[in-house]
Amino acid sequence: MRTAQIVEAILFASDAPLNAAEIARADTSLDEDTVQMALDELRADYDESERAFELVEIADGYQVLTRSEFAPYIERFDTVPRPNRLSGPSLETLSIIAYRQPVGRIEIEYIRGVNSSGVIRTLLDRGLIDVVGRDEGLGRPLLYGTTSRFLEHFGFRSLEDLPRPEELPVVLRDRVPLGPVAEPEEEADPQGSEQHVLEPVDGEAPEAAATAEQPAP
Amino acid sequence: MTPATVGTPTSERVSDADPPKAGDGAASGAVGRPAGVDSNGEGFLLVDIDRFQGPLDLLLHLIRQQDIDVFDIPIARITRQFLVAIQGIEASALESAGEFLEMAATLIRIKAQMLLPRTGLDEDEDPRAELVRRLLEYELVREVSGRLRVSEAERSRRFGKGFIPPRVKLEVAEQPLETDWEAVLEAALEVTMPDPLLFEHQVRLRPVAMEEKVDLILDSLRKSTKVRFSDLVRPWVERIHGVMTFLAGLELGRRRVVRLRQGEPFSELWIYRGENVDEDGSATDPGPEEAS
Repeated sequence: MRTAQIVEAILFASDAPLNAAEIARADTSLDEDTVQMALDELRADYDESERAFELVEIADGYQVLTRSEFAPYIERFDTVPRPNRLSGPSLETLSIIAYRQPVGRIEIEYIRGVNSSGVIRTLLDRGLIDVVGRDEGLGRPLLYGTTSRFLEHFGFRSLEDLPRPEELPVVLRDRVPLGPVAEPEEEADPQGSEQHVLEPVDGEAPEAAATAEQPAP
Repeated sequence: MTPATVGTPTSERVSDADPPKAGDGAASGAVGRPAGVDSNGEGFLLVDIDRFQGPLDLLLHLIRQQDIDVFDIPIARITRQFLVAIQGIEASALESAGEFLEMAATLIRIKAQMLLPRTGLDEDEDPRAELVRRLLEYELVREVSGRLRVSEAERSRRFGKGFIPPRVKLEVAEQPLETDWEAVLEAALEVTMPDPLLFEHQVRLRPVAMEEKVDLILDSLRKSTKVRFSDLVRPWVERIHGVMTFLAGLELGRRRVVRLRQGEPFSELWIYRGENVDEDGSATDPGPEEAS
């Protein structure tokens, strides 16, 4: 039996991502390095033989997932769970927690400008976040962090996969920094035409793209 | 929160509001200008409060909509627009209304501070600085949210093994009990209580008299010294005949008219002539008093 086959069998039987160390536990003949090599071999194998599935690196592990182009066929079965998309408030709250973890409710609410206790509870219930500690401050408030299910839900390998803030087209930030506040601002308005160039990357664009990609429910 | 629309009651985000923007911007450029002056363009601002996730979202929308420089927010104009936008918030939605009102208060405070003469041009001294920082941060959050939404959509198009769970059959016990006292009472009234008379114990005569069986046994024993119990019972189908024959046998045995023998449990029961039986077979003489 080849190592790659053993690894393949384990991945096939698993419905959650496994990392090399976890797979290596299957047999004394395996170690992390050989498993890693086998994983690379399998991935290349699937790609070359054009399988309908591929070996995906996700949530600090590997999982065999179908290629996304087959989604329309799979989704035709009514037993397939509808992709449970998170609400806007949930995504906002998750964004804050993902970048600022460990972070408490007060800070989340200050950034969002709205009460977030209900959203936090929902995210906890769904296992996307977890309590990771307590703050030193008054009342020792709970601090939240993201879980591996969070990575799984968004298909991230690790938190490194989160978009870097500097990569994001944040329109407001690209404006001239806060300067003297006086008469000169009157002249700022003619710049409006030039600022129109920035509009295509305005905030709604990525969300619109997301909805377009999503199959009609 | 209820939709609060300003202007025409459509919830469409009006990008058509852009053309008059330049003039509007020019008019409102001066901070703290009286509200009525730059009415041009304001009517095009449609704000459906329901679409916003909070005061920062609304503020961000107002700023983007009018292409305002976030580092130089015309605070008086924004404040007025903000107040107009939140007018329609229902008092019942107190929690969210409170959040919008808090922001309104902040805006008004900043607006007041802007009117005060400032000594320097230091950034820290700009009353709007904190608001700007929050807006930038919030915009970043919105941007990341958008990216997460895209990632989520991409991930949801890939399926792991076992994506089809077994069909869930709802057990009867799992169905929530939904009822009220009226339904319970109604059901209770439909139950007909059993007539207590039906439970009266009725004594009936046994259809087969033991005396018949006594005679049968004695008759049989006149012909032979012993008789099988099963032979006595055989002609009748009903169980009562067996029961009564057995009782008759026990009674005769008690009177010592017959003897009962059984080799082993469940084997054939034999009935023998007893000592009290006359040689000619007459069994009439032994009375109960004599046997006891």
